[in-house]
Amino acid sequence: MAAISHPRLTRRTLLRGSLGVAGAAALGAAPVRAAEDLKGKTVVFASWGGAYQDAEKASYCDPFVQKTGARVVQDGPMNVAKFRTMIESGAPDWDVADITIDFLYAGIGDKLFEKIDKSIVDTSRLDPRFVNDYGVGCIVWSYNLGYSTKAYAGQEAPKTWADVFDLKRFPGKRTLNDNVVSTLEVALMADGVAPEKLYPLDVERALRKLDTIKSQTIFWSTNSQSQQLFVDGEVNLGLILNGRAYDAAKKGAPIAVSWEQNIQSVDYLVVPRGSKNREAAMHLIDVMTLPENQAKLANIIAYAPTNPAAFKDIDPQIAPWLSTAPDNVKRGFVINAEYWRDNLKKLQERWAAWKLA
Amino acid sequence: MSSSDATTAETTPRDGRTDEKGAAIRAVGRIGRSALLLAPAVLLLLLAFLGPVGWLLSRAFTQPQPGLQNFVDLWERQGYLQVLWNTVAISAMATPICVLLGFPVAHAMTYGSPRLRRWLVFIVLIPFWTSLLVRTFATVILLQRNGPVNAMLIGLGLSAEPLPLIYNMTGLMAGAVQVLLPFVVFPLHAAMLRIDPAYMQAALTLGAGPVRAFLRVYLPLTLPGVLTGATLVFISTLGYYVTPAMLGGPRQTMIAQTIQDQIAQFGNWGMAGALSLLLLAVSGLVLLLLHLTVGLKAVAR
Repeated sequence: MAAISHPRLTRRTLLRGSLGVAGAAALGAAPVRAAEDLKGKTVVFASWGGAYQDAEKASYCDPFVQKTGARVVQDGPMNVAKFRTMIESGAPDWDVADITIDFLYAGIGDKLFEKIDKSIVDTSRLDPRFVNDYGVGCIVWSYNLGYSTKAYAGQEAPKTWADVFDLKRFPGKRTLNDNVVSTLEVALMADGVAPEKLYPLDVERALRKLDTIKSQTIFWSTNSQSQQLFVDGEVNLGLILNGRAYDAAKKGAPIAVSWEQNIQSVDYLVVPRGSKNREAAMHLIDVMTLPENQAKLANIIAYAPTNPAAFKDIDPQIAPWLSTAPDNVKRGFVINAEYWRDNLKKLQERWAAWKLA
Repeated sequence: MSSSDATTAETTPRDGRTDEKGAAIRAVGRIGRSALLLAPAVLLLLLAFLGPVGWLLSRAFTQPQPGLQNFVDLWERQGYLQVLWNTVAISAMATPICVLLGFPVAHAMTYGSPRLRRWLVFIVLIPFWTSLLVRTFATVILLQRNGPVNAMLIGLGLSAEPLPLIYNMTGLMAGAVQVLLPFVVFPLHAAMLRIDPAYMQAALTLGAGPVRAFLRVYLPLTLPGVLTGATLVFISTLGYYVTPAMLGGPRQTMIAQTIQDQIAQFGNWGMAGALSLLLLAVSGLVLLLLHLTVGLKAVAR
């Protein structure tokens, strides 16, 4: 499952790589390595799969491989329980992981991450809002209302979450996230709760609202699936991440998104505690914060950069798809990661029970 | 095919016994050569199966704290018993469908022309050799709203709009049955091969109509095959994970998905162990029922 990204692994490069290792070993205490020389090192990178991880590989990992000579092994999908189990066992398989903000807060409390080595990662490049002692923000993204441009041609397009729950004006199958995070917020907003009054969430009210469309809703469990549902015309509207909608649209699916009431979130890069390649991992994170690499990622999948200098290299056609575009920021709000850190477990159980009822 | 398997299965122990004698003569102690040959498989099972499974099941009683708390939760909390009931109900639904669909296939495979037989074996086996995941994805493509099945139904005027064939019980059954069919076809075929055609001829010449002869003579003779197949299907369905996850809806959640959720979402190994134990207990119960009704020996034949 894990694919290896390496600059064309031929016999010769392999030989060179192993000679490099032998050489380094022979020298014993080698002088401090320059950032460019990580030959023979391997970094295992775990993320969310699909179009997003492909974009991360092309814009973060490949430049890192070229620059340092290290290898990057792609793994995943990122999974919180797997992450925890690895740390418990004392020898994590992953060296860099792409995680969501709620897990960042939970994980810091449980001491799951290595501290970011600021002598290697130049965090001054980034918007300080996205820098944490234990993680570095890499993208800003949002949950959006996506809809089929075909299904509702010739009528007003769905705009707000209330429209997703309006089976009369917008009939047909819809999709939501098979996860309490985001789905409860969406249901409450559809029921008329203002974004600034959402937290703490009125869970039962949200679930009652969800009951009204339950039989018409397909719940997606992976982002790739959310894309596929729109591409295949299986659903007419629903919740999708902005980057996934962009990727689907780019590949020709008749999909558009509304930015009303978008729920913004941030992905962080962390190094699991006890990583065997801590130093190389920090170097990879450093490469991930470079403006040209962040711009490249945004150009592929429309997730907004955390390095402000990246914006100038982003295709102007993509800018309106970014969560951080001023118009989009105005219409959305940032998810309450502290609330989810404290309530996730309890509400996940409630969610599982609701699905079966 | 299965019948030849059955004959080898029968002869092996006999060979084993003669080997054992030889081994004893060569004073290898009490351990026979055949037992030594079994050792790698037994060792592998111990290390790769019994060890981890035992470890998971034991966690049901040790995590988060020692005791029976996980089982109390299973009983008291919303959802878990519902999932167990779902799982049994889905298996109980898939089983008769498989038997009814598989019976004529096995029959044709037994009594058809050699050419037909070859083709049928081939057709039943081909999907058997294909990855479960691939076949399940293929079912998704076939049954989705704009898939070929719906296109055909609409094209033939049988339906005005796409039918919901997927992400519900229909999709789950379609996926489960096509995967499980070989498990019932081959035991049935094996049972039918063992039936002496003279019995049916005798019944017919003695004045039974074809229906009566089938019901009173033929069907009872295939019963061990039917029960073996049904048991295999039922127990396999109990543990289904990929198919309900990809083809079912939220209401078709099965116990394997809940076990996975307990581990992947909550890291709750204790509850996962308790649920696994429950699944194992239900499977054991089914085997026990089978043993009490027809006897495992009859089925193993």
